[in-house]
Amino acid sequence: MSTMPEKTGREKVELKIELLQGTLDMLILRTLLFGPAHGHRIAKHIQRTTQDVLQVEHGSLYPALHRLERKGWLSSKWEVREQKRELKYYRLTAAGRKQLAKEESKWKKLAGAIARVMWPGEASEA
Amino acid sequence: MFWRRKREHDLDRELRDHLNLEAQEQPDAYAARRALGNTALIKEDVRETWGWMWLDRLWQDARYAVRALRKSPAFALTATLSLALGIGANTAIFTVVNAVLLKPLPFFQPQRLVQLWENKPAQGYFRNVVNGVNFLEWREHTHSFEDMAAVSVFPANLTGLGDPIALDGIAVSPQYFAVLGASPALGRSFTAEDGRPGHGDVAILSFGLWQARFGGDRAVLGRKITLNGSPAIIVGVMPRGFALPQSTPDIWMPLFIDRSPNWQLGRSLTVVARLKPDVTRKQAESDLQSAAAQLSRERPDYDAGWSAEVAPMLQDATRNVRLPLLVLFAAAGIVLLIACANVANLLLMRSSGRSREIAVRAALGAGRRRLLQQLLAESLVLALAACAAGCAAAYWGVKAVLAIIPAQNRIPRMEAIHIDSSVLLFALALSFVTAIIFGLIPALHVSQVHPHQVLRQGAIRASKNSLRQGLVVAEIALSLILLAGAGLMLRSFHRLISVDPGFETQRILTLRMFASPAKYLQPRGRATYFARVLDEIRMVPGVREAGSVLWLPLQEDDSGSCFDLAEKGPPTPSVSPDANILVVSPGYFQAMGTPLRGGRHFDARDTFDSTSVIMVNQEFVRRFLPDRDAVGQKLNVCWGREFRNPGEIVGVVADARQDDLQTPPRATIFIDNLQSPMFFAQIAIRASGDPLQIAHSVQAAIHRVDPDQAITHVKTMEQVFSDSVAQPRLQLALLGIFGALAGLLAAIGIYGVAAYSAAQRTREIGIRMALGARPGDVRRLVLREGLVLGAAGVVAGLAGALGLTRVLKSLLFETTPTDAPTLALAVIAVLGVTLLATLIPARRASRIDPMATLRGD
Repeated sequence: MSTMPEKTGREKVELKIELLQGTLDMLILRTLLFGPAHGHRIAKHIQRTTQDVLQVEHGSLYPALHRLERKGWLSSKWEVREQKRELKYYRLTAAGRKQLAKEESKWKKLAGAIARVMWPGEASEA
Repeated sequence: MFWRRKREHDLDRELRDHLNLEAQEQPDAYAARRALGNTALIKEDVRETWGWMWLDRLWQDARYAVRALRKSPAFALTATLSLALGIGANTAIFTVVNAVLLKPLPFFQPQRLVQLWENKPAQGYFRNVVNGVNFLEWREHTHSFEDMAAVSVFPANLTGLGDPIALDGIAVSPQYFAVLGASPALGRSFTAEDGRPGHGDVAILSFGLWQARFGGDRAVLGRKITLNGSPAIIVGVMPRGFALPQSTPDIWMPLFIDRSPNWQLGRSLTVVARLKPDVTRKQAESDLQSAAAQLSRERPDYDAGWSAEVAPMLQDATRNVRLPLLVLFAAAGIVLLIACANVANLLLMRSSGRSREIAVRAALGAGRRRLLQQLLAESLVLALAACAAGCAAAYWGVKAVLAIIPAQNRIPRMEAIHIDSSVLLFALALSFVTAIIFGLIPALHVSQVHPHQVLRQGAIRASKNSLRQGLVVAEIALSLILLAGAGLMLRSFHRLISVDPGFETQRILTLRMFASPAKYLQPRGRATYFARVLDEIRMVPGVREAGSVLWLPLQEDDSGSCFDLAEKGPPTPSVSPDANILVVSPGYFQAMGTPLRGGRHFDARDTFDSTSVIMVNQEFVRRFLPDRDAVGQKLNVCWGREFRNPGEIVGVVADARQDDLQTPPRATIFIDNLQSPMFFAQIAIRASGDPLQIAHSVQAAIHRVDPDQAITHVKTMEQVFSDSVAQPRLQLALLGIFGALAGLLAAIGIYGVAAYSAAQRTREIGIRMALGARPGDVRRLVLREGLVLGAAGVVAGLAGALGLTRVLKSLLFETTPTDAPTLALAVIAVLGVTLLATLIPARRASRIDPMATLRGD
C-alpha cells in the first residue's frame, strides 16, 4: 500500500516584483516630497503612479515608516486634514530631504550602470 | 511603561485607520484585511524598529512565563526545588572553594609569597621545618628572594591581668612583617635589635587581643605586660584581620637566631619569603637548592642528604583541603547536572501537553526564534527562582558546616568563608547556564513543531521518548557515580574509626600547659614542678592515674630525632637512623591504657639524677633490635641531655598511632619527662567516671602548685579522637548528602518518565487487557521498561564510577576505589530506587479499565 506524500511547509506565494532593499525607503521619501501623507495614501500613491507594477506590501510599509521616523528622516503627527477624522500624517524632515537626494543619485548611478550593460548602443539619458 | 502603552495604542489606531480607508476601496472588510496581511506580525515588525525591544520582550516573556508556571504549581515547585538543591549545593561549596582556594591572600602582591622547607628525599622527608643556621645561610647566599623570615610557635602565658591567659603566640624574625608587606595599625613592627640578648623583650598584639584584653586603648603602646613570667613591652598592634592562612595568632614576639650551638642542631622553623619581582618559583627553588647543596658539603654532620623546596604560600597552606574540596565541588556539580536532566525531562513532558498552545502561537505568526525565546524565558524564570532559594540554602548550609568543624582541625582561611558578591555572581551565572542547559533541549524540540500537523492531530506524537529516556539513563548513571563515591567514603571512614589506636579513648581527660621559662628555666626545677603537678592531680578524688606527654596523639604533632646504639659511638644527625621522640612522665601509659610488652614503666626510681632511662615501642624493636632483647640495650639519642648520656631501655610498650589514625605507628623512643623535662606538656588523666566531672578540680589542683599556670585545650580523649577524624567525617557527610540528593532527584526523574510513558500507552494497555492480559502482566510491562532504563544507567554509571572514583584514592583509608562490595551496594541502591519509582505508575497502569479506555477513543 502506498501512501500519499504529505504536503508540509508553506503554501507557495504568487510571484511579485520584490522591491530592492532600501528602494521602498526611497519611494516613501519621494512620495512625501509632495507634502504630508498618511500610510494608506503613501501605499496607494506608489501603487497608482507605477500603474500597479509595484505592489507595496503593507506588511513592510508600516515597519519602514517607523524605521525612517526613528532615523529622523520623517516626523509624524495626528492631524485632521482632507478626511474628517484624525489620522497619523508623516512628513519629510530636513534630514530626510538630504537622504532622499543621496538615495536618488545612488539610484541614478545604479540605473545608468545597468542600462549601459543592458542596452549598450542606446544613448544614455543622463 | 507609559511610553510603551501610548505607542501601542497609536500603532493600533494607525493600522485600524488603514483598514478603514482600504475598506472603502475594497468590496468588503474581509478583502481589506487580507490586503493588509497579518496585523499581529506587522505590529511585531514595527515594534522591532522601536529599539529596547529585546528588553521589553524579555519582560513580557518573563511575565508570561510566571503566569504559565502559576497555572501548573506542581511542575513549577518540583522543577524549582530540584534546581534549588543543585544550585544551593554548588553555591555552598563554591563559597568555601572561593574563600579557601581562590581568593588571593590578604597581603601585598601575595603571588610572590612562598614558604621554604627543607627536605630529605632519601628518607621521604618533605616539607620539613628548617634549621636555624641553615635559615641564616639561605638568607645570605640566595639572590632570588627579596627577603625571608623565620617563624616559630611560641605558646605564651599572659599573666597580671586577672586569671592567667594562654595565648597562641608566634615568634618571628624581624623581617617577618616586611616580607608579608604588612605593618602594624598602631606602633611599630620589630627591628633587628628586638629579641637580641640584652635588649628588653617586646611584643606586638593582634587586633582581637587588643580589643578583648586592653579595651582597644591606644595608650597600650609602651605598656609592660608579663609574658611567660618575664616582662615585655607592647610596641605595636596589628590591623584587624591580619592572620596567616593556617593560624590566627594573638601575639607576636621577636625571634633572634644566631650561629650559636643552640641553632646548629635540630629543625623547628617555618620560613616565609617573598620572591623578587619576575623571579619564578622554579628559579628560586634551584637557587635555594644550590645554597642547600653548599650547606650539605660544609656541614655534613647536620645537612648531608638535605635539600630544600619552595612552595607558593597559598597552595602550601591549602594543600590538605584542596583535593577534598574539589571532589565535593565535582559532586555538587553532578547533583546539579542530575537536577538539570530532571527539569529538562519535566519540561519535555510539559511541552507535549502544551504543543497545542505552541502550535497556535506558531500558526498566528510567531517565528521559531520568538518561540524559543519564550520557552527559554520560562526556564530562566525557573532558574532564577531556584537561584534565590539555592542561595538561601547555601547560606544556612555553609553556616551549619562551619559550626561542626572543630577549632583544632580548622580549615585554612576559615574566617574568610562567607557568601559575598563573587559567590552571588557565581550563583547567578550558574543559574543562567543551567537555564540554557535544561531549557534549550526541550525548547529546540518543541519549536520544531509543524503547526498544521499538531492542530490536525491534537498532540505531538510520542516520537521523542528516546530523548526522555536518555536523560533518565544519564540521571541514573550520575547518581550511581555519586553513590559509589559516598559508599567508598563510608567504608573508608568505618575502617578508619575501627583502627586500634593503641590506647583507650574512654574516661580520659586531657589538657595542655606551658611552664613559663622565666620561672622554670632550670631543668631540675622544671622536672620538680611537673612531678608536683602530677602528684597533686593524682590526689584529686575520681582520678585514677595521670601522666604527661609531648605530644598527645591524634593532633598531627610529633617530633623526631637521630639516635644510635651506644656501642656504635655518638650519633651523627645526617647519618644515624631516625625515630620519633615522645617525652612522657611516669603514669602516662597507664593513664592512656597502652599496654606494656616487656620490661617496666618509668617510675619513682628514675629521678633527675639517676641514669637516663628510655622506653621504646614494638615497632622500634622490630626495626632496630629484631634479634636481641631490647630491654637493657643502651642508646645515644640526639635530644637534650641524652645527647651526651646514653640511656638504657627499661621497657617496651605496644604501638600506638601518633599523628593521626591513618598513619601506621612509627618506631618511637620515649624519654622520661622527669629526667629531660620540656616546657610544654599535655596531661592525660584517667578518671574513674565521667572525665569532664573532674575537669574543674584538676585545674584547681594545678593552680594549687602554681596559680599563674595557664591551662588550655581541656578536652576528653574521646573529643580529641572525634576531632581528629572531623575532616573525613565532614567529607563523608557532605558526599552522603549529595549522594542522597542525587538518588532522590533520579527517583523523581524515573517516576516522571515511567508515569508519562504508561499514560501514553493507556490505549495499548487497554487493548492488551481486553485481550486477556492480567494486571500482573501489565505491572511487569511497566516495571520492565523502568528496569531496562535502570540497567542502562547502571552500566554507564559503573563505567563512570570506575573512571572517576580514582581521584578519591588519596582520600580513602585502606579502601580501593574499585572496592567491589561498595560498588555492588551502590548498584543495588540505584536499582532499588528505580524499582520503587516505577512501582506507582506500574500499579496505576494495572488498574486501567479497558472498557473505559477503548470507549474514550
